[in-house]
Amino acid sequence: MDRKQILEEVNEIFIDTLDDDEIVIKEGSSADDIEDWDSLTHIQLVVATEKAFSIRFTSKEIQSWQNVGEMINCIISK
Amino acid sequence: MLFNLKDAFENTFVVTEKEYSKFLDLSNDHNPLHTDSDFAKSKGFEEKVMHGNILNAFISYFIGESLPSKNVIIHSQEIQYKNPVYLNDELKFSAHVSGVYTSVNAVEFKFNFKNLISKTVAKGKIQIGLLS
Repeated sequence: MDRKQILEEVNEIFIDTLDDDEIVIKEGSSADDIEDWDSLTHIQLVVATEKAFSIRFTSKEIQSWQNVGEMINCIISK
Repeated sequence: MLFNLKDAFENTFVVTEKEYSKFLDLSNDHNPLHTDSDFAKSKGFEEKVMHGNILNAFISYFIGESLPSKNVIIHSQEIQYKNPVYLNDELKFSAHVSGVYTSVNAVEFKFNFKNLISKTVAKGKIQIGLLS
C-alpha cells in the first residue's frame, strides 16, 4: 500500500468515525482543523486505525503525532 | 495487563417486576408493546415485551461492577435486539475481550444475552476506557 492509498484509507476511517461524508483529510490535517475531533474521537480514530491496518501503536507514538502525515509515517513504519 | 484478549465474563440477569417497573418509571416509555399484553399478542408476541434498554442497564452493571477494576468508563456501545424478552425471563450474559488497545487505554468486548432455551436475545459490542 503506498502513501496515497494509506491516506485514502485513513480518510475513510475519519468519515466513518466522525460520521461525516464531507471530511477530506490531508497530510497536514490536525484536530484544530476538524470539528468534533475531540479526545474521545481521537481514541476511536486510533482504535479504528489499529484495526484497519492490523497494527498497534504505543502511547508514546500517538503523543508524538502533530498531524495526519506523522500518523501515516507511523503506520508505514509498522 | 488488566485485560487480555479472550478474557471471558458471565453473569445471570432476570427481568423481574422490579426491573420492569423501575424502567417504566425511569424511561416513561409506556408504549403498549411494553405495557399491554393483548396489544403485544396482536403483534405476534407471546406477551408484553420488556424494554430492550433494560439490557443496557445490565450492561452498565457489567462494566461498572463486574470487571477487575472500577477505573473504567464506557466509550461506546452497540446492541442488536434479536429476540423479545418477557417478564421474568432469566438471561445469561456472556462477554469476552475482543480487542485491547493499550496505546489509548481502551478495551473492546463482544457480548450476548441468551435466554433459558439458549436463544440469543441480544448481542453487541462495548468499548471502555481504563481511567488512570
